[in-house]
Amino acid sequence: MNPLSRRDFLKGAGALATASVLPVNLIELAFAGSESFSFAYISDSHIQQIRGTEFVRNWDRGLMRAVAETHLLEPKPDFIVFGGDLAQLGSKPELDHGAEILSALRGKVHYVMGEHDYYLDLGEYWQKLFGPHFYSFDHKGVHFVVLNSILTYDDWTYHRWPTPEQRMQEMAGLDNPNGSPFMVGEKQRAWLEKDLAAVSRETPVVVFSHSPLQKIFRGWNFWTEDADEVQALLKPFAKVTVLYGHVHQIQYHQIGNISFNSAMATAWPWPYPTAYRQGEVYLPKLTVPMNRADPFHERDGTGWQLVNLASGNVDVQYTLYDNRRRSVVFSPKTGGPEDSQYQDPARRIPPQTHY
Amino acid sequence: MKYCIFVLCLSAAVFSSLAAAEPLGLPTVPIPADNPQTAEKIRLGERLFNDLRFSSTGTVSCATCHDHTKGFTDSPLTTSEGIKKLTGTRNAPTVLNAAYLKSLFWDGRSPSLEDQALHPFLNPVEMGLPNHEPILKIVRSDPAYVKAFSAVFGKSGGEVTMKEVTQAIASFERTVLSGDSPFDHWYFGGDKDAMSPAAQRGFQVFVGQGRCVSCHVVEQNQALFTDNRFHNIGVGINRIQADVARLAGEFLKAKAAGVDVDQAVLTDKKTSELGRFAVTGQFDDLGAFKTPTLRDIARTAPYMHDGSLKSLAEVVDHYNNGGVGNPKEKVNDFLSGGIRPLNLSTEQKADLVVFMTALTSQPAADQKRSPRP
Amino acid sequence: MAFQRCKAAGLGILLAASAGFAEADEFTAADEKRWEEQFQAVAQKGRELWTSPALGSNGLVCAQCHPNAANTHPETYPKFQKQLGKVAALWEMVNWCIRNPLQGTPLDAADPKMIALQAYVHYERRGATLAPGKH
Repeated sequence: MNPLSRRDFLKGAGALATASVLPVNLIELAFAGSESFSFAYISDSHIQQIRGTEFVRNWDRGLMRAVAETHLLEPKPDFIVFGGDLAQLGSKPELDHGAEILSALRGKVHYVMGEHDYYLDLGEYWQKLFGPHFYSFDHKGVHFVVLNSILTYDDWTYHRWPTPEQRMQEMAGLDNPNGSPFMVGEKQRAWLEKDLAAVSRETPVVVFSHSPLQKIFRGWNFWTEDADEVQALLKPFAKVTVLYGHVHQIQYHQIGNISFNSAMATAWPWPYPTAYRQGEVYLPKLTVPMNRADPFHERDGTGWQLVNLASGNVDVQYTLYDNRRRSVVFSPKTGGPEDSQYQDPARRIPPQTHY
Repeated sequence: MKYCIFVLCLSAAVFSSLAAAEPLGLPTVPIPADNPQTAEKIRLGERLFNDLRFSSTGTVSCATCHDHTKGFTDSPLTTSEGIKKLTGTRNAPTVLNAAYLKSLFWDGRSPSLEDQALHPFLNPVEMGLPNHEPILKIVRSDPAYVKAFSAVFGKSGGEVTMKEVTQAIASFERTVLSGDSPFDHWYFGGDKDAMSPAAQRGFQVFVGQGRCVSCHVVEQNQALFTDNRFHNIGVGINRIQADVARLAGEFLKAKAAGVDVDQAVLTDKKTSELGRFAVTGQFDDLGAFKTPTLRDIARTAPYMHDGSLKSLAEVVDHYNNGGVGNPKEKVNDFLSGGIRPLNLSTEQKADLVVFMTALTSQPAADQKRSPRP
Repeated sequence: MAFQRCKAAGLGILLAASAGFAEADEFTAADEKRWEEQFQAVAQKGRELWTSPALGSNGLVCAQCHPNAANTHPETYPKFQKQLGKVAALWEMVNWCIRNPLQGTPLDAADPKMIALQAYVHYERRGATLAPGKH
């Protein structure tokens, strides 16, 4: 067997199609200039309590596997981000059980709020476990922002439902017509504007958000009501990437100066909204869908992400089980994210057909 | 492509008929365009398969570990014994229906039957040859081989290379088929009494609560009982759980430095448990091994890549527990998502075992032996 | 006398016809509306089951993986279904899901719950072209 050549690594092709377990110098040599680093991005575990100490085994195992695989990374990721929806119904047992599984992670963990974590107690227990709902931090010259982008209209949140439990149940159903669109909200947008005012226009910015900060499909809340306003706040910056969860599938897009990349769930995959005949959908056109999942293999269509920041733009390596791993890298040529293998329509494979 | 085979002496598993259709329940055997079947090539391949001289001690041939009287394995050995009774880390897979496999070896590191034949000759715990030269010396000088290679390939002397040798072996292997079992007669042949009621109940478990069919594939008009894919079902890797990260990292560094995968996995027990990861370096191949066929499975105990499960009942228990031998054991982190506790009753488990014994092609175990070269 | 009776019978039939008795598959707009409502009620019941943890034993519901019954592709059945090992009908795959991810008890094909589930699935997929056998 030949040692993996640097060329193969850069193409993301070949047997070792991920930046895992490789000497770090291979990565550094590729990108002159600013320092590149990587972090692991795990999202949407949906830990679900059945009764007592019994949790849905499938979701437990998905999160455990992602955590175990991050231990295999060499070099170690700089930090780990959890992208939201740790719990299914936001209960203390679920959040505790999820936190317990995540406690095996090695390194600093940053947490992003998801709607399944929020709507039972409006994030009160989450705050105790993990800290503020929205915040920012800097790392190696990159400005990171974490938004709580799953808020909704006050009326729905405070006045519509008789109990917190029911409020959580209503928001938990993806296709529930009683749901309400996600948003960042005026208060947080004001905070964001102030936060970004202190950041130079040349500094790369990465925004973590659970909802897509785009308007993709309202029916399943693949939607952020004030996406335009938030995008406007990000417009002045040279390199912006939004990393979002919630959709449980591979999506990526470029809008102006902003790259958008979604995260897989560790729990289960969702259909592409184009599979629903009765709704109007704007799936990001660039997206090459992930392979269809075989429901027999519970981990099929689930996974986690290794995010590499090279020269301020984001490359995402998707680790998908029983499925084909994917690599969505920022292409300086096209100025947006593209799949390293399948972007060309001539290279698509049958399992990527969703209908 | 139809072909006639005049097979001299075979186990019952090999189909011998001028009608040349595959046994009931099997699809057409894929034949590569550059290695068409002929009767003489198959005979030559069988002779090579049985030749003990292709080992450093003159005591080991392919048939040593792939014995036609034992379902083309070396049952009941846990792991195979090569020269000087040296043992490797893995249980000999059967050659039965290997013609349908998309990759060979438990970790799929070989893409074809022709390629697979190259490797055991050189493995220090199998045939132990330093290179293929001793084989070529024999086939280029032994009068019977000289005649045969000339007749089959039109080649002689230095023109006879390992390509011809492995093509002949592969040709023979493509006739080693198992089908036409009681299950096939019942399921595809419409014979309602071909399987016992217990076996029939077992089949329902197989495609139902047992969840076997998704990997051990049965289709509408054929059943290969393998999906040709790799899964971690919790055998072997459970023992090295604490060491996986370290072993995986060390192995990949060694591989990048040029270590031979074939040797590494067969000589080091812990490395062997990495499974297909040793070939692809991908996380989801950690501890994953190829789904074998279940045909003639009753004849080829013990089971799994390390031969650690002695009986079909033990195998069923392992799956029923959700990928652990003992229900109290910790499931490994990299377990395939298809494996989960099954909650089968005692009767269901027994019926499943009875069903699997109905996959033995009939008549069973022909004790006739191949002729010596 | 028989002929008289026949004539009388024939006259009777003619009279009956002219009096407006329905024959064969004759139905009115009111019938259609009523039957459509009955179907919708069953489909609505299917929707309730689609989001009901009562189908399984672990709290999971169909809608978790199949929002609005997406990715069920009822228009492609019967078709070869890998998980069942044969060409199968939609209801058999529904049962596979009830048994496996939901860890519940499979339903009879004629069970009103199964009919309701199928009604809902097909309704959400209305308009899709039939494509039996399509993977």
